[in-house]
This record gives sequence, structure tokens and C-alpha cells, in this order.
Amino acid sequence: MTTRTAPDRAPGSTTPPVPPRSAARAATAAALREVRRGTAVLALVCGGMTAMVALQYRGMDGALGAGSLAALAENPAIRTLFGPPAGLDTAGGFTVWRTGTVLAVLVGIWAALTATRLTRGDEEAGRWDLLLSGRLRLGTLVTRVLAVVLCAAALVGAAAGLGLALAGAGVRGSVLFGACLAGTGMVGAALGVVGAQLFGERRSASGLAVAVLLGTLLVRMVADGVPALSWLAWTTPFGLTGRVAPFAADRWPPLLALGLLVAALGALAVVLHAGRDVGRGRWAGRDRRTRPSRLLTSLPGLAVHRVRRPLAGWAAGAVAYFLLIGLLATTMTDFLRDNAAFAELAAQAGFAQLGSVQGYVAALDTLLALALGAFAAGRVAATAADEAAGRLALLYSRPVARARWAAVEAGTTTLAVAVLAVAAGLATWAGAAWVDAGLGPGEALAGALAVLPVALLCLGAAIAALGWAPAAVLPLGVTPAVGGYLLLVFSDTFGWPSAVRALSPFAHLAAVPAEPWHAPGAAGMVAVAAALAALGLAGYARRDVRT
Amino acid sequence: MAAPAPSAPALRLDGLGKRFGTTDAVVDLSLTVPPGEVFGFLGPNGAGKSTTIRMLLGLLRPTAGAARVFDVPAADVERAHRWLAYVPADVALWPSMTGRECLDLLAGVGPGTDGRYRDELVERFALDPDRRARTYSTGNRQKVALVAAFSTRAPLLVLDEPTSGLDPLMEREFRACIAEAAARGQTVFLSSHQLAEVEAVCSRVGILRSGRLVEVAGLADLRRLHRAEVVVELGTAAPDLQHLADLPAVSDLRWSGPLRLELSLSGPPGAVLRALGDADVAHLEVREPTLEEIFLDYYGQVPA
Ligand SMILES: Nc1ncnc2c1ncn2[C@@H]1O[C@H](COP(=O)(O)OP(=O)(O)O)[C@@H](O)[C@H]1O
Ligand SMILES: [Mg+2]
Repeated sequence: MTTRTAPDRAPGSTTPPVPPRSAARAATAAALREVRRGTAVLALVCGGMTAMVALQYRGMDGALGAGSLAALAENPAIRTLFGPPAGLDTAGGFTVWRTGTVLAVLVGIWAALTATRLTRGDEEAGRWDLLLSGRLRLGTLVTRVLAVVLCAAALVGAAAGLGLALAGAGVRGSVLFGACLAGTGMVGAALGVVGAQLFGERRSASGLAVAVLLGTLLVRMVADGVPALSWLAWTTPFGLTGRVAPFAADRWPPLLALGLLVAALGALAVVLHAGRDVGRGRWAGRDRRTRPSRLLTSLPGLAVHRVRRPLAGWAAGAVAYFLLIGLLATTMTDFLRDNAAFAELAAQAGFAQLGSVQGYVAALDTLLALALGAFAAGRVAATAADEAAGRLALLYSRPVARARWAAVEAGTTTLAVAVLAVAAGLATWAGAAWVDAGLGPGEALAGALAVLPVALLCLGAAIAALGWAPAAVLPLGVTPAVGGYLLLVFSDTFGWPSAVRALSPFAHLAAVPAEPWHAPGAAGMVAVAAALAALGLAGYARRDVRT
Repeated sequence: MAAPAPSAPALRLDGLGKRFGTTDAVVDLSLTVPPGEVFGFLGPNGAGKSTTIRMLLGLLRPTAGAARVFDVPAADVERAHRWLAYVPADVALWPSMTGRECLDLLAGVGPGTDGRYRDELVERFALDPDRRARTYSTGNRQKVALVAAFSTRAPLLVLDEPTSGLDPLMEREFRACIAEAAARGQTVFLSSHQLAEVEAVCSRVGILRSGRLVEVAGLADLRRLHRAEVVVELGTAAPDLQHLADLPAVSDLRWSGPLRLELSLSGPPGAVLRALGDADVAHLEVREPTLEEIFLDYYGQVPA
């Protein structure tokens, strides 16, 4: 007779109490199990991408025209995004310049999200109650998980360095670059654990960690753009990577600063765990609210209620970013005035429109497409998380079809994305107007709104994932933006076939406001997005609800 | 709220089955619950109660068979759910929403709620509705779902182990609410692994074992259908009665002394009474088994 006491599905409910030493080890082992797959995937992506770019560069054997390369590298928009180029004449230097920032952002955000998942996420789901009901202390658990996530980030950085070295890019630079990437990832991881100590909800903790990490990218842009503030580069992992300048200056002292930054944040995370209860953050907010929200009486109201806070956070970030981009527009015009040779070079290489303020803004609005796409995919991922946590069971027990709720969420997200785009456009205009860069408000808005189809593609892909692959909503949802962006970059750099290039949504965007809006491209993307969404809603209505 | 078709059964499951990978969670389950009945759905952990309930709510797709709620296919949730309310086994709420906001939301998206009754229920269940859900214990979250469900006055209440987190006082309140619902003519489908609860409130029970419905019976029938415990005390010794053990209806014959015997009787008692007729019976006691004993009967023989 076994079924009478058959174990429920609750994981670990039958695990016997474990003595403290092995409890700590068990916690480490559990954390390792939770990170190993993501770490392996990301290590492969980073190592593979650096190796591929370096090999491609070497294969072209100087066929990348020095002129067009310089035009690209010296383009102010590109400089703003990727930092000043260094060592472009080597395979390693070129790879670092072309992939470094993107990979650093990717690894940093992944590490931050992984850290909050393993700490706040597991705590929220009650998985820590069991571990901590023994003699394992909260501080031990936090430290162990932090160590695991730091190691995972370090491993990914090492893989990127290894990829470069194996592609023959030179060992010293490869080691330095790997270390910079690892350090950036570790900063993200430590930020994630810090966020998890402060907030009681995983989403808030992740939001804080990612916002601070991207904030440090903003600081690097300021440090690069404003000579008087160039010392700020020493406070951000991105700036420090620039200071190390792998394959060019090959300095190692900035790495020490990066290590100190990681150590300080890690120590902060461990210190912060004290004085909070398990399952709660230090900033818990008030536990009572006597006046109920008026929004929470209908589905659209609920959707608006759910999107309000994330929208406010993302809008604040977008406004800060694009205000800065607007403000930096004059450093660009100055640059053009002082470098008549560059303007000529750019024109010869076919980047004529990039030489104007309008071209600069259009190029940087590409970044907005990535942000909007991530926001849209993130909202759908939040719906998937609600479902997995069982929070939708009560809602779906009312006369609410799943597809209806998902459609309401999608509609709300679409509106929120449009609001974000408008906010970014207005901020760009405000910044540019402040420094008299000669950008009209209509132009700024048009540039921001022109990238909306990419965000809608992300939304469509995320909804398709919600219907058919609900465990992978976020990665599949950001693929049209992030994957499409990388595809375009590589296709342009290495002259891949136009059929491959055409797979990228960005291939169908015009450089608004430097170029007129490309209606057929936008219409095509919106049609694909709608088809993906319809497919996803159909799947979501049919499949089992997960708990 | 528009009334459901009056003649339709509140719930009809036809050969319902659900397979997760290689596990058969529910197998060929057929069951009809008429309107107005309080039906107990009994089974140990992992028997498939929640899976069945999630199928009849349209949250899971059956791999076989079909479920209907007041003659509306369970998958058509926009229609079927107008007439039902549900309390899940694990209630999860949005942590930053207060209990009142959760109640407002569930009332707002549904066809109608009795606000006065809701306030009364909040009092009776001693729920503090102004606290955020993240501060609620399991029992408090369950109370939110119970208040939301009862206050809809829906013709069908589907409750999945709704009292697992409640203390005895609240459990009593819950039973009172069920009684009120039954008195109003609401149908209740109550899953439970607690016999006392089912015994207290249900008029008919179904017993689920490893995904199969092994018995459906009225509470009284269930006891009668099953074995009776017979205690016989004799005036003088009667060695012949050893042969009682050979009767097909008799099992588990025990002599607790030369003048006292106990046996379990299943089926009609005629043969046993005839055998006892010749003996000098001083005292005869026939006792119905407790539900617990019946329950163990079903689960005692479960294959590994
Ligand atoms: N989503 C699922 N995936 C795989 N197996 C499941 C899933 N849900 C339930 N099961 C299995 O189905 C069986 C019945 O589970 P459940 O309906 O939850 O039982 P009960 O509610 O009676 O305790 C169990 O063996 C359980 O492990
Ligand atoms: Mg259950």
C-alpha cells in the first residue's frame, strides 16, 4: 500500500531533514543545477560568436575596406553605442569593438536575471523555507548562491576569451577581454543578489539590477562624450573595459578596479541579507492598503494595473537614455565640422545619411527597437510567469477565456510600447533642442515610432511562445530584435548573402528620420507579427494551463 | 445571472481521461452530478482529484472523453463558467494586491456577486481584506478564494480540498456555508481526502483511486453496501460455529474468547443468521463500518 501516502507533486516535500553541513552543500548543488544549462548555452554563444567574428575577419584578409571600416567606426552614432574603437587593425581588436558591448550587455543582464531567479525567485516560490527550516542560515544560503552565480558569469567570460584565443586572436588580449566580460557578468550577478535582498518580488529585484547595469552603460556614454567627466569610466564595467582596451593598449590596472567593484557589490549583497526575514525584502513597502485600486474591477483595468509600474520604470530609463543621446548630438556635429575628411569618407562609403544628426538619431533608434522588443517580450513573459505560479487559476475560473486575457494583455502592451516610443522620441528631441542640434520634434518622433514594427514582432513572437513553448517566452520573444540585430550586423560586416540579411527585421526598416518611412516593410512586419500572435493565441486557448 | 438549463445535470463527465506523458492521472471517469446535490469527491493524494477538476474547468484538455457543466462543454469557459465558482487546492494571488482587490477583481470579471453576502462572509471567515496578499498565510489565501466563490452564489461550486489550510473554527464556518448553499439549491462538488468533512456535508460520494472511480454511492448506501461488523456473544460454547468461516459472505472470523466471536459480513446476512439459529446466542450486535474503514478497504488493496 503505497498510494495512501503517495507523494504529492510538490518538489522536495519528501526530502528528509538534512544536517547543516550537507545542507549548505545541497544548496550549492541545487544552485549549480539551476544555472548549468543557461551557463552552457551562453558560454557557447559567447565563445562561438567571438571565434566566428575573429575568424571571419581573418578570412577576409584586409578585404574590409579601411575606408568603409573607418567610416563606420568613426561614425558618432556607432561611437556612442560601442565606445571609441581601438585596435581595429587586428582580428581581436575588431571583434572586441564589434561584439564587446553587445556581449557585455547580454552577459550582464543574463547574470542579473539568473541571480534574482536563484535567490528571490526560489525564495518567492517557498523553496528556501525547506532549506532554511534546518540549521542552514540565510546568510550562508545567500553567500553560496552568490558564489555560484559569480562563477557562472566568470565561466561565460572565460568562454568568450577562449573562443578568441582559439581563433588565433592573440592570448594576452583574449585573456584581458575574457576577464572584462567575466567582470561585467559578475557585476550583473552581484547586482541581482543585491536587488533580491532589497525587494520582496523577483520582478522588482530584476528590474533594479538591470536598470543599474544599463545605467552604468549610460555612464560610460557620458564619460566618452564629455571630456570633463571621463573619470566616470572608472565606475562602470563598460567604461573599465574600454580602459583595458584589449588588443590595443592591453592595460591591466582597470581590471583591478573591476574586481574591486565586483567585491564591493558582493559584500553589499551579503551585508544586506541581515535584518530581513526570509520571503521578504528590506524594502517591503506597506502591508496594508485600505483604499482598493479602482482599476481592479475589469480585465483591461487589471492589465493597466499590471503594466503601470514596469512602464514607468522603462519610460524613465528610455527618457534618460534618449535625452542623453539628444544632448550628445552636438559632440557629433562638432566632430563632423572638425573632420571634413570623415564626412567625405562616410559619403564615399555609402553612409552619407549617417553623417547628419538625423542619421545619428536613426542609428541610435535601433537601440530603441531592442529596448521596446525586450519590454514587449517581458510583459508576455510576466503573463507566463503568472500562469506558472498559479495566479491565473482563479481568473480563468471566471468566464474569462485564456485567449481573451492574453489578447487584453497584448493590446495593453502594444499601447505601452507606443507610449515608450513617444517618450523616447520626445526625450531625443528635448536633448537635441537643448544643444541646438537641429532636430525637429516631428523628426525625433518619427524616428522613434518607425521602429515599432520590430517591437510588435517581438510581441507576436512572445505570444506564439506563450501558446506553444511557454517555458521560453522571453528568449523567443526577444529573438526578432536581438537576433535580427546581430544578424544584420554580421551580414553587413561580412557581406553575407542578401537572402540571409533579409531575415533580419532591421533590413526592412528605413533609417527614419534620415530616410523616408518605408511603409511596405512596416506593413509586412506588422502582418507577420499579427500572424504570430494569432497562432500563439490559438495555441494558448488549446493547451493545458501549467501550474 | 441567467439561469442554467433547469433539467441539465450540474456536471456530467463522460469517459474522462488524462494522461501526462506515461502517467495516467485520470482514466475513463464517468459521473453525473444532478443539480442541488452536495457531492464528495474522495481520494488520497495523487489520486487525480485536482486533475479531474482542472479538466472540468477547462484548464486541462482531456486526452479522452468530455466534461459538461449544465450541458455546456467545459472547454467553452465563457459560457460554462457563468454558472460555477472554483476554489483551487493551492490559492495563488498577486502578492501586491490586497484581499479586497482580489475579491473586487473576481467579482468584476464574473457575471454577478452578492456584495452584502460577501461582506458577511469576510466577517465570518475573520479575513482582514486590507492586507496585501503577500502577507497572507495559506489559510488566508484560501479564505479569499472561498469568500469569492460563495459570494457569487453560483449554481455550481467546485471546491478542491478547500479546507486544507483552515483551522477547526474556520472549518466549521465552511461547513455552515456549504449547508447554506445546499439549502439554497446550489450544487457542490467537493474534493477532499478528509473523511470527516465529506461525512459531515455530502449526500453522495465518489471514491477515486489511482485515477479510477471505484465507487459512487449515497453516504448511507455506501455504508450498507459494505461489510457489517458482527459481534456475537454466546450463552454456551458452540464449536460448530467454526464453520462460519467457510461461508462466502464471512471474512475475518475472530474468537476473542470461547463465548465471543467477531466477524466481517459482506452481502446478505441470511446464511449467517441460519447458522446462528441453532446456537445459544446471548447478544448480537451488528455495527456499520465507519467511513474510515470503508476508505481503508478501498485503499488497503492498492497495487504499488
Ligand atoms: N502537470 C502534470 N504533469 C505530470 N503529472 C501530473 C501533472 N499533474 C498531475 N500529475 C500527476 O497526476 C496524478 C494525479 O494528480 P492530482 O490530480 O494532483 O491528484 P490529487 O489532486 O488527487 O492529489 C499524480 O500522480 C500527479 O503526479
Ligand atoms: Mg489535489
